[in-house]
Amino acid sequence: MIAAEHLRKTFPGKGKHAAPVIAVDDVSLVARDGQITGLLGPNGAGKTTTMRMLYTLMQPETGRVLVDGIDTAGDAAAVRRSLGVLPDARGVYKRLTARENIRYFGELHGIPRAEIDARTARLAAALQMEDFLDRQTEGFSQGQRTKTAIARALVHDPKNVILDEPTNGLDVMTTRGLRGFLRQLRDEGRCVVFSSHIMQEVAALCDRIVIIANGRVMAEGTPDELRERAGIDNLEDAFVRLIGSEEGLHA
Amino acid sequence: MNMLKTVIGKELLELSRDRKTLALTLFMSPLILLVLIFGLGKMVEKKVENLSDKPLEIAIVGAERAPNLVKWLATQGVERKQVADPDAAIRAQDEDVYLRISETFGEKWAKGEPALVEIVHDSTRRDAEIAVKRLDKILQAYTQQTGALRLVARGINPGVAMPLLIARKDLSTAEQRRATAMAFLPYLLILGGFLGAMAFVIDITAGERERQSLEPLLATPAPRAALVSGKIVAATVIGMITLLLTLLSFKLGAQLAGGFAKMMDVSLLAMVKMLLVLVPIVLIGNALLTLIASGAKSVKEAQSYMSLLMLLPMLPTIFLLVNPVKNQLWMFAVPFLSQNQLLLKILRGETVLPLEWLVYFSAGLGLVALLWFGAVWRYRQEKLAISG
Repeated sequence: MIAAEHLRKTFPGKGKHAAPVIAVDDVSLVARDGQITGLLGPNGAGKTTTMRMLYTLMQPETGRVLVDGIDTAGDAAAVRRSLGVLPDARGVYKRLTARENIRYFGELHGIPRAEIDARTARLAAALQMEDFLDRQTEGFSQGQRTKTAIARALVHDPKNVILDEPTNGLDVMTTRGLRGFLRQLRDEGRCVVFSSHIMQEVAALCDRIVIIANGRVMAEGTPDELRERAGIDNLEDAFVRLIGSEEGLHA
Repeated sequence: MNMLKTVIGKELLELSRDRKTLALTLFMSPLILLVLIFGLGKMVEKKVENLSDKPLEIAIVGAERAPNLVKWLATQGVERKQVADPDAAIRAQDEDVYLRISETFGEKWAKGEPALVEIVHDSTRRDAEIAVKRLDKILQAYTQQTGALRLVARGINPGVAMPLLIARKDLSTAEQRRATAMAFLPYLLILGGFLGAMAFVIDITAGERERQSLEPLLATPAPRAALVSGKIVAATVIGMITLLLTLLSFKLGAQLAGGFAKMMDVSLLAMVKMLLVLVPIVLIGNALLTLIASGAKSVKEAQSYMSLLMLLPMLPTIFLLVNPVKNQLWMFAVPFLSQNQLLLKILRGETVLPLEWLVYFSAGLGLVALLWFGAVWRYRQEKLAISG
């Protein structure tokens, strides 16, 4: 379970007298085990920065993040052990094969070699990446790269999974496969958090939706609750009403 | 410890698949050194041979005024040749030196007064020096010989006109004399050790950041210190292999080439000592490169710092050129200067005192620890993780 309380993060502005940029103003959310929680928001809403605070790469200025009850500021290493992260940056090592990429991360998690191999085989089957598993990742397609990055993020069998726009740049078939995979993770009882700026995707996949705009949580709840709150039956219209603009609707 | 091994293994595996970078890193500086030593050795040898044993052909202006002198010069291997405008020829560097015999030469000579001959040359041209010195020496011999004869003719012992007999006794060892010819060699060795693994370090720090694989790496529970140390150690392994190859090529070059190169101390013991001297500089180089390059957002930015770093090892050479001082203990604590002094000492065949070793290693390794700590600190920074 991941819980964030009143996160705020600003960055110094460029130039001497520039005002600081407020990336995340006030975000609180709870992502439960056995659920897929979607962070929905237009570009620049603060999704990636929020995610970075969730997976310990950034320290919130105020507020705190609890992962399975452990404060990220207190014991970041313990939190990282229970997190599987697909960051916004998903570079893989080009001169290593997909398998070697996954193995490296497994070893960094301190997992024995035999267990890594077993996990790799299972993930490769689930993500349908057996045919390119032993190729060097140089020249991989976007989908192959993303699958490699997801597999290496999950090699240590984490309880919590955070994915930053996982379907970005993927074709329809790959996206469908990936959705199936995320549902599978949920059904295994994991806590899955993913961000997206595409409304349809969030609606199709999530048990709970957190809508973020301008660094604040605009609304939160199940798709049905959100429809109810906006007083509109159509989720798309509800989204527009809730964030107050049409930005990010058709991506 | 396991984590460290994992990181080192992965970085080296990745490098081994990048043949071009690997070959450039490992073989570039050994090859350059080999060519330099071999080429320079041959060149110097040839030059000295040319200038000392072959007849010196120079223009003599006003040769008709001193036929005896010209004849005598010919017996000493100085041959006369015709040059239309000798001053211009010297300026154009076509001629090294020429001799001008003054118009009053015959008249003064007959009177027994000092007769003027001028050696005309360009003092900024180092390669003309040998010819100038040779001519000067021959003329000195002639004036002494003739002076003695004149005194004898007047019934005076020539020794009277020579109150002092000046002789030089050189206490430098043979190895020391050789070392003056190779003041540039320590620079090459230090540079090789210091920046030998440069391309590799930039690739695994700034390159990793640019290729966006750093953020996922930092999201793993692996301690930052292990990640950084793994990178530095991997670079040091590569740096040491390069260094070993460089020293081997140095030995090979020194043995193949003649001239000054043949005179250096390239025994196995000297090689081991040089390796020992260069270990801290490899560590300093890689820790410093990691510290600098990890702060750079791209490979390009990291590379722009490198030209500056290339200057660093040159500083002691410049310092010593401007202000030649004798070896003092504090010098062994200054990076680059200490390596320079130690390498010269070893090449000259002098012993390095235990105290000097102690000062050298504590200062060098202390600096390494400081830079290493700095690099780890850099990897703990929040902004490092964000590539975009």
